Amino acid sequence: MSSENHHLPNRIKLIWGISAVGSFAALVVITGLIWLTYRYWSWPFWLVSTFAAITIIEPIIEGSLIPYRYRFTRYQISAVAVEMQSGFIFKKRVAIPIARVQNVTLNAGPLLQWQKLTKVSIATASTDHGIEGLELDEAEALRDQIMRLAREARHDQA
Amino acid sequence: MIKPKRTHPLGLLLHIANSIKEYWFLFILVLTLYNQPLWFALSWAGIVLVIIIWPATRWATLSYRVTPTAVEVNSGVFVRHHEHIPYSRIQTVQRKQWFFLAPFKLEELYIETASHDDNKPEARLAAVPTTLADTIDGYRLGATAAATTDSTAATATSETAETDPLPLPATTPVTAHYRINNRTLLKFAVTSTGFIPLLLILLAIYNKVPRSWTDSLIADATHLALVVLIGGAVAVVAIAWVGAFLWTYIRYFHFDVALQGDQLKTAKGLFQRNTITAPLKRIQAIRVKQNVFRQWLHIQTVQVLLASKAASKDDDDDLVILPAVPQSQLYDVAPPFVDWLPDHTPDLSDLNVADRRQWYLIRNALLIVIAPVALASFLLPHWMWAFALILVIAFFQGRFAAHQTGGGLITPRMLALQTGHMWTKETYYLPVDMIQSVRLNQSIWMKRTGLMHLIVNVRHGNKNQAIELRYLKSTQAQRVYDWYLQTV
Repeated sequence: MSSENHHLPNRIKLIWGISAVGSFAALVVITGLIWLTYRYWSWPFWLVSTFAAITIIEPIIEGSLIPYRYRFTRYQISAVAVEMQSGFIFKKRVAIPIARVQNVTLNAGPLLQWQKLTKVSIATASTDHGIEGLELDEAEALRDQIMRLAREARHDQA
Repeated sequence: MIKPKRTHPLGLLLHIANSIKEYWFLFILVLTLYNQPLWFALSWAGIVLVIIIWPATRWATLSYRVTPTAVEVNSGVFVRHHEHIPYSRIQTVQRKQWFFLAPFKLEELYIETASHDDNKPEARLAAVPTTLADTIDGYRLGATAAATTDSTAATATSETAETDPLPLPATTPVTAHYRINNRTLLKFAVTSTGFIPLLLILLAIYNKVPRSWTDSLIADATHLALVVLIGGAVAVVAIAWVGAFLWTYIRYFHFDVALQGDQLKTAKGLFQRNTITAPLKRIQAIRVKQNVFRQWLHIQTVQVLLASKAASKDDDDDLVILPAVPQSQLYDVAPPFVDWLPDHTPDLSDLNVADRRQWYLIRNALLIVIAPVALASFLLPHWMWAFALILVIAFFQGRFAAHQTGGGLITPRMLALQTGHMWTKETYYLPVDMIQSVRLNQSIWMKRTGLMHLIVNVRHGNKNQAIELRYLKSTQAQRVYDWYLQTV
């Protein structure tokens, strides 16, 4: 794997879109329940309207931020370290030396599995860092590379 | 083969005491049932089970064995556990000796490795002979001397360090020793900030005092109201402060630290003597700490960050190796214990908050308190002046943080960082091998002003310690980040 800046795979946008729809559905259900409390237990109506507003606004924000989120999320793997970068308004950049990696975990929910993607989380002795979605084969290659480099790094120091 | 041994019967008492400490509320529950004889009897039976029979079976089923390669502990009533702890994996050995155990030459022993299983030591042996810990220490000194394993201490699950059975090294000489004198300890205890949480507890109790009492008191002495009020406040503060003083004084009584081979050993405490042994190689970082009161008295505290919970009752869960050292002597006293510490006050001006940028830290400190203060002054307009005082404190906290922020490379492989949180100046010494990751944060507005936050992660206890230097110049923060990537 080269050491240039990588974007996440394009299909992650689809996953994020679906999860925005998912949060819309969840919020609709919650608003419905609140409406029932208004109807039968006469809870105040402003609760219903507040939740209705959140139901409409939250998925719109989540959806409209997808291109932004995609554009500014990057990762980079070199011989010595994994670097991740995200956000533009609040830009974060983290460096994790491969020699400090304790374990790499791949996990994928149903949506990610359907798109043949997987989440990667990299754990050091004290912190956890995640890449939101990678192609399955790429993720496995990355995991093997990290584990190989981690082994070598350890031998060097011994 | 040595046969597994049981702990001393006195250990049973400790187990029972522990159960009482955990289930004392049951007694109160039972007392509320006194008019229902059947339930009353049943619940007494329950209590007997919980605080006598259960600990007794636990004690009876616990056994241990010390072999030349590992400590083995067998425990469990229904589910049997066999814990096998090789010496090279041990992070800390902690010995606690209550004064009533001393005549019997017994003590409580806690052994911890770096595994992530939080809040529980790998082995806890109540009431074992004091010679046991010495035997273990002997084997450990042998194990660490022979194991030329890695220096990545941290935790390492995949390392495969095989330790050969070694003969017991007779005695390893003590190469450095320090004992606190009473005057310094008094200074240290007087300036403990432990009174602040105590103060909050006392205030909470005060709130629970029935209104009718205070009302009648105020009605009786309206003309004295202010005196009573101020007097009460002073009394509350004084009680909290004396409490914190005694707490600290008793816990750090006769504090003693020694370096033996590559094991650091601290001992402290009046009623309960608490001895902790930790290998130098497992130190994640060093912290030099000084709250604002101690700044006035010119004393500093030195702590080591370990990947173990052994010191969870020390300040901030980190093992204190030198509770109070006069500022001027710190870099003479500390380096003999940890040889990679600098031997003179380091120059930390490489990383700093520029004078023009200190406003950001002040603003943030004010932003945190402004909403609660506004709400409180709205609800209690009479107390406005007291709340205004909080704003002033916040303002100076922001300034303090800005002034204390500092750092730089001490050696090509060691970073020093200094922060000023909560009126406490903290200087960290971080070997590059122990830094787990480095992070840079920058908001879009900070891009324009060329500023960045630098966050350095190290392990402490079973958790992460993020050391954050806020509002540094981008170039400075970037330099540390690049240094980290290149050196690692």
